[in-house]
Amino acid sequence: MTALVVGGAASGKSQLAEQLILQSTARPRVYIATMQVWDSESERRVQKHRAMRAEKQFSTLEVPLGLLAAAESVPPGSAVLLEDLTNLCAGEMFSPQGAGENTEKAILAGVKALAEKCALLVMVSGDVAGGGLDYAGDTPAYVYTLAKLNNAAAAMADCVYEAVGGLQIQHK
Amino acid sequence: MIFVTGPLYSGKKTYVKTRFGWNDAQLARLAAADVQQLVTGAETPAQLEALAAQLAQKTAVTAAEVGSGVVPIDKAQRAQREAAGRLAILLAQQAQEVVRVFCGIPTRIK
Repeated sequence: MTALVVGGAASGKSQLAEQLILQSTARPRVYIATMQVWDSESERRVQKHRAMRAEKQFSTLEVPLGLLAAAESVPPGSAVLLEDLTNLCAGEMFSPQGAGENTEKAILAGVKALAEKCALLVMVSGDVAGGGLDYAGDTPAYVYTLAKLNNAAAAMADCVYEAVGGLQIQHK
Repeated sequence: MIFVTGPLYSGKKTYVKTRFGWNDAQLARLAAADVQQLVTGAETPAQLEALAAQLAQKTAVTAAEVGSGVVPIDKAQRAQREAAGRLAILLAQQAQEVVRVFCGIPTRIK
């Protein structure tokens, strides 16, 4: 069973995704964190979120890059919360060690490997394609790649939710 | 006319092609795609209404939603975004049916 939760910033998508995992009997619960840790502020944030999730019986895997390789260390039958495609996409596109032009393919390969292995995979992603393309530099390419990723993730998911103001619209 | 809207790259043209069984040539002939780009120089209400009336002759019209980001600093970009939104409203009013595509998934909203 695979679900995708998409929404804008602070739309309640993380909370909805977590609920989907907590409602499931599948174990172990694995949280795949994708933020790149740059400084002590983000390090403190990571520690705080890790502690919060530990109470809910999640173990945490830090995967800012290379989802396919990381999928190997996820136990079969897990309930996995992958948060989020937005960070993974930026990491793979713009990190020197990232997949670059193969970003979409690389992330989808990881997602497919996880979906086959897990009892439940809940993916979180952002919605950044509703504001036009009047951005500088590489941002239009990022908007395009993330939209393609979201479309492909939605096509393979059993359920697709859009989070709006803490509520949910089920598209599939 | 059916009006198809949704974020950029959400699968609007693919939806129209699938729904009507069209190829790219038929799409180009029978539909008007990405009409948010047509508002440059047609930003008065009368001009937008004329544009919408002309587009309503097509079987299908697609427009990307472009108004949900941060308001652009550039005046021309702001005007274009406003006009794109108003054009979408006019098209939705004239359409027999309105479909919003989100992550490739169509939802009928009128």
